[in-house]
Amino acid sequence: MGQVTLRGIRKSYATVDVIKGIDLAVQEGEFMVFVGPSGCGKSTLLRMIAGLETITAGDLLIDGIRANDQRPADRGAAMVFQSYALYPHMTVAENMGFALKMAGVARKQRDEQVGRAAEVLRLGELLGRYPKELSGGQRQRVAIGRAIVRKPKVFLFDEPLSNLDAALRVNMRIELSRLHKELGTTMIYVTHDQVEAMTLGDRIAVFNQGHVEQLGAPLELYNRPANVFVAGFIGAPRINLIERPPVSGAAIAHQALWTALTSQTSTDAARIGLRPEHLHLAPTGEGIAATIALAEHLGDVSILHLRVDGVSDLLHAKVGANLPRCEAGQSVRLLPDANWALPYDANGRLIE
Amino acid sequence: MSMKIQADRLAPWAAYLLVGVGALIMLAPFYFMFVFATHSRTEIFSLPPPLFFGDDFLTNLTILTERIPFWRNLGWSLYVALASTALTLLFCSLGGYAFALFEFRFKKLLFGLVMATLLLPSFMNMIPTFMIMDVLGWIDQPRALYIPGAASAFGIFLMRQFVAASIPRDLIEAARMDGCGEIGIYTRIVLPLLKPALGTLGLITFIASWNNFIGPLIVMRSPEMYTLPLALRSLQSPVNTEWGALMAGSAIATLPLIILFILSSRQLISGLTTGAVK
Repeated sequence: MGQVTLRGIRKSYATVDVIKGIDLAVQEGEFMVFVGPSGCGKSTLLRMIAGLETITAGDLLIDGIRANDQRPADRGAAMVFQSYALYPHMTVAENMGFALKMAGVARKQRDEQVGRAAEVLRLGELLGRYPKELSGGQRQRVAIGRAIVRKPKVFLFDEPLSNLDAALRVNMRIELSRLHKELGTTMIYVTHDQVEAMTLGDRIAVFNQGHVEQLGAPLELYNRPANVFVAGFIGAPRINLIERPPVSGAAIAHQALWTALTSQTSTDAARIGLRPEHLHLAPTGEGIAATIALAEHLGDVSILHLRVDGVSDLLHAKVGANLPRCEAGQSVRLLPDANWALPYDANGRLIE
Repeated sequence: MSMKIQADRLAPWAAYLLVGVGALIMLAPFYFMFVFATHSRTEIFSLPPPLFFGDDFLTNLTILTERIPFWRNLGWSLYVALASTALTLLFCSLGGYAFALFEFRFKKLLFGLVMATLLLPSFMNMIPTFMIMDVLGWIDQPRALYIPGAASAFGIFLMRQFVAASIPRDLIEAARMDGCGEIGIYTRIVLPLLKPALGTLGLITFIASWNNFIGPLIVMRSPEMYTLPLALRSLQSPVNTEWGALMAGSAIATLPLIILFILSSRQLISGLTTGAVK
């Protein structure tokens, strides 16, 4: 129960292709996250799975049955909307029981199921209230409750936490994780927030311009991004991408950095990616010369934005806060950890 | 200095006086309508005219019911007003909902056409309406009054604005996921949420139909099919107008509206401003 398979899924509006052929299999009980910049097609794909958008081409299979032409309610999917989409004229209990009512479930059984879902989400005392009498977090819980009551094969979440404040978002994230463990139901979760993606997902699909750039476990995506888009999208501060220095006339520091980075990997690379936490500060006299352009002290760590002679972009380094205080304009020495260097070819693909 | 303080103190009283006089001028005709409804014609035209209620109301009512089929006319007025209100609410809410939340071909053009009908002066419709009703064979039938008024451009516009302002698309989609068909979405989600706007439009439509004079004048021929405004008008003639009976009929005709307005004036005002101030 709860296997979702996409085969060559496409979506076009008139002449514009929004989704350009997606093949993806969401396993039973899996927490799959769709992540990507806005306009990449992740929400559209979710809505296609839900049945709120038509599928231009390809097959959508839910538990092995082709669902392209099924009505949304018949697909066994429940959706949680970003805006919660609670019916304002119904109480919490009526909101949660509405789908059951539509399905013709008897009142007694309906009340039972709503009661059970309310228990799971600790909504017991709120059942008689109207949505306008609830806080944002409570509304979100009701929206999730409404989805749970239907006992769907798959939950679809469309950026459900975007309207909550930061503290509440952390709580709801934990709650969602707990819920997934408790229910064991397949979940597909759309977000643009990579922290949500990294913390919630069993697997993450990174979307860009209507196709999937990479599909994998969170740490796999973080440590071995398949291409420069994924490398740049996952991780904050952004990964450093250092261009190969020109054959002649390269700056000394640029050349030294490149040599240090390629000591452990392929030398055919056009670019090397290196996460900010793998760029260390070195004692005077060692490493590569750099100047601090901006230092952000976050308390536990400091983010240094560094200028290296010959390298066009600023480099980012995440360093421990126990180092002597760094300020803008100061000269430092850098020591990259070449074990973590990621070589990319001229097309931006990772050289394995 | 003291002059200024005095002027400040007097200003509100002057305002009250002005508003009070205005209110008197506005209400006087209504007052005299009710007063004259209880006097005979001779009393009404005596000098000075009666200022307080008399005891000829029942006599006037008898004259009224002898001259015109008054209760029948009242019935038709009520029937036509209720029918056109019900139809207007149905079609305007459907139309407004569609124009606000559905995507379809020529949507903008169609909505433009609907709105353009607001620009036509109503007297331009008089002759075409008569000709169409004549062709349909609907002359002297109540449907000639409530069918043409079954959907008004103003009503569609009001509903569309209200839907756009207060019913998010997500809600419709949530209902669709919950298993509602299109009719289910309209009856279970859209209609309940439209209640304030429906109340406002219903009230406006009912009042307009109740007061409609030109419409019945064009399509109604036999006195027993007349609605009240027309029937009461038929009491008037250059000579020998039963003013007391006319006033009694007018007073009775006004009562439903006054009751309706007292019950729902708050609703009317809030409904009209809901879409506007958000």
